[in-house]
Amino acid sequence: MTGSADPPTRRRLPRPGIVIAAVCIALAILVGLHAAHLDRHHPSSDNAMIDAELVHVASTVGGRLIDLPVRVNQHVRRGDLLYRLDPEPYALTVRQTEADLALATAEVENQRRMVAIKTANAASAQAQVTRALTNRDLAARTVDRLGPLAAHAYIPRQEYDQARTSLRDADISLAQARQQALAADIAIGDLDSALAAQAARRVAVEHARYSLRQTQVFAPQDGYVTSLTVRPGEVLAPSQVLFTLVVDDDWTAVADLREGDLAFVQPGACATVFSMIDRTTPMRGHVESIGRGVLSPESAGLARGLPLVPREMDWVHVAQRFPVRVRLDPAAAPLLRMGATATVEIGYGAACR
Amino acid sequence: MRCAAFRRLPPLAVLTLGGCAMNGAPSFPVVGAYFPAWMICGLIGVAVAVVLRVMFVITGVDAVLSLRLFTYVALGTVAALLVWMVVFGP
Repeated sequence: MTGSADPPTRRRLPRPGIVIAAVCIALAILVGLHAAHLDRHHPSSDNAMIDAELVHVASTVGGRLIDLPVRVNQHVRRGDLLYRLDPEPYALTVRQTEADLALATAEVENQRRMVAIKTANAASAQAQVTRALTNRDLAARTVDRLGPLAAHAYIPRQEYDQARTSLRDADISLAQARQQALAADIAIGDLDSALAAQAARRVAVEHARYSLRQTQVFAPQDGYVTSLTVRPGEVLAPSQVLFTLVVDDDWTAVADLREGDLAFVQPGACATVFSMIDRTTPMRGHVESIGRGVLSPESAGLARGLPLVPREMDWVHVAQRFPVRVRLDPAAAPLLRMGATATVEIGYGAACR
Repeated sequence: MRCAAFRRLPPLAVLTLGGCAMNGAPSFPVVGAYFPAWMICGLIGVAVAVVLRVMFVITGVDAVLSLRLFTYVALGTVAALLVWMVVFGP
């Protein structure tokens, strides 16, 4: 290799060991690059979790728990009776509101009679007006007749004065009768208030019946009863959660994937999921969605106020991971437990061939 | 299916694998903790390098080699990556 070497040495091939080493190292680099390429285009996670949706079972009314036909970890179907509260207070409320409704209905009838009476009174007052009008007309005609006679002294002045007084009296009577007729008309009123009270009572009955129905709680979904630790006799407040139902018809696996890999995760893509409960049975699933946001320490500041900016001099930043939801096709029940460890392979694996 | 893939591989990898791929999760429970598949592959790579070293010394191939550390590391790396790609890869 050096200038002082003789010509045969210069032309000598490199030692075979060097060639073998170079070939091996080049092969390792090529295979490594290929593996990195494969890994990048086929995201996977061995830190996923089997997930399900929950219903926190509670009644909107409170009371004493008298019947609890389900046990913890039992599977229930939609519509099954889960528990019953003591219905008696609510039945009593129903009866009370029904009695109130009957009262209000009777009050409507009462009011209807009152209106009829007042209508008759108004008609009577109107007749009084007619009578007063007739009397006044007679008094007026009398005054008209007696006026000329009194002027010529054919009749005593006293008689004429009496006639004029009668006319004024009849005027006042007419005005009074008209006012009474007006008042009687106004006093007739209507049934609106009674009908409104009846409607309010009717709604109260409906509400009481609703509350009575809420003393029986039925399963809103197929699922498994969990976290049930009480027996009948427990007194529950309204909306107090008695246990949690793990919904059975909709299982998912949630895999946290690094943000750089999300470009290779397409919603709808096939995914192989292994539940570590039985790591030999692949489950098929499809990517449903990718989480749109996660909480990070940088974004966890107060909503109002100044941004929290730590002093730092980090040169290496760990990739953020986002939860990818994989909806599982129906799978064997023993594999599905909420919170179980799982592995997720997106776009390949035993279930996607 | 996996076995068919083995025929395309160099004999080295076939010797290393010594059979069909396991058809399970790429995660292995060891006394209650799950170890990732790539860690297993790494151990296999180390084992392959050691076994090759022993075989080469016995057969005399080792004498031909130079830069032995790099050569064996590269061979172990190739073995580990091949195992990963064939057994656990896409």
